[in-house]
Amino acid sequence: MPALEGDEVLAAAFAAHEGWAFGEAYRRYAALLYSAAYNVLGNADEAQDCVADAVAKLWRSRGAYSASRGNLRSFLVVCIRNEAISRGRRQARALRLEERLAAMPVEHEQLGASDPIERDRVRSALLALSPPQRTALELAYYKGKTHSEIAAELQEPLGTIKSRIKHGLRKLGSILESTARIGSDRL
Amino acid sequence: MKYEHVEDRAALYALGALPDDERAAIDAHLRECSACTEAVGAAERDVALIVSTEPQHGVPPALAARIDRLVQPRSLEGMRRYPRPAWPYAAAIAAALLLGLLPSAYFWSENLAMHRAMLAQSNAMGRLASGSHRTAHFRPSNASPPAEVMYALDGSWYVVVVRDPSKSLSVAWMHDGVHTMLGNAVPNGNVAMLYLPKSHRMDRLALMDGNRLVAEATLSWQSTVPNRRAGRSG
Repeated sequence: MPALEGDEVLAAAFAAHEGWAFGEAYRRYAALLYSAAYNVLGNADEAQDCVADAVAKLWRSRGAYSASRGNLRSFLVVCIRNEAISRGRRQARALRLEERLAAMPVEHEQLGASDPIERDRVRSALLALSPPQRTALELAYYKGKTHSEIAAELQEPLGTIKSRIKHGLRKLGSILESTARIGSDRL
Repeated sequence: MKYEHVEDRAALYALGALPDDERAAIDAHLRECSACTEAVGAAERDVALIVSTEPQHGVPPALAARIDRLVQPRSLEGMRRYPRPAWPYAAAIAAALLLGLLPSAYFWSENLAMHRAMLAQSNAMGRLASGSHRTAHFRPSNASPPAEVMYALDGSWYVVVVRDPSKSLSVAWMHDGVHTMLGNAVPNGNVAMLYLPKSHRMDRLALMDGNRLVAEATLSWQSTVPNRRAGRSG
């Protein structure tokens, strides 16, 4: 696990749009970034294209990341996952995302797929949310739905959905953070 | 839209629950509003916590090569246009170049120009690479070129050198029954080399040709006498 200072130096260089920082950030977080795309798209080729395109967009787009954004790894994970979700939405007009994910074969070695501790952590954290918060969050995160789609599906006002997701996500993050295993190098 | 604060949509943004056009508008706003940037950053951290609990997959080596191609040519441009303001950056680059040059010249002894470069920068090398290092040889599991890895005693840097390579090889860290791709040793003349600035100790490294493991090295971290000084020349 890189030292905190190393992460900060890398983040500063990335914010300054220094080329070496892009390469080093990819090398440092490659497994997490690729997996974030793969877990959404369920296809190795598409996941590779997604990561490469997202990095290329960041490289062309000066100022996308700044120090006030906070953790560089979190920024990159969300950036690539959002790119994957966009791709998934474009490709899933005829076939729903969750059906594609369920149908996709495992093409690569899975490093943590059967980690029961992580599954239990997430399950417990989700159960700690109120049912409305949990439902809204699950539809957003696991089903890849937009807030408008969630509001329509649950027949609730858009503002209510926004509020449930906002508070649900914060609570979920707090629980996951507090239950993180000591010595884990994931976050 | 561009100047409208987006704090109430930070979670939606981080979760990917916004349509593309709305997300693009938020991206534009975040370039100008630090308060909203902080809110989005906090939501991104929460989402990243969830993502980190999900299954991780082995990264195809080809992807690292694609990323390298994307950023390498422009990275040099970026270095010229944006010189590092702080000495650690400059020292890191200088160390990468100097420590990279050293083993390159060691194995490519006929390259007099490389030797001259080493001599010319010997003073800087003595300051930046004065610490001892160890060397571990890669054991080929198939027909593969000779290779070795030199590494700092504290695990702060590694230099992988492959002699007479016919093509680029990937370097992977073998740990916990999996491999993490670290980068590519790209041929340059008679050697292929990869400099890895790290902050942790790695026990086993592998050379990969695509998905095929071609050689493996075991690194020792026991407190014995190191193989040689970093400044030794060939």
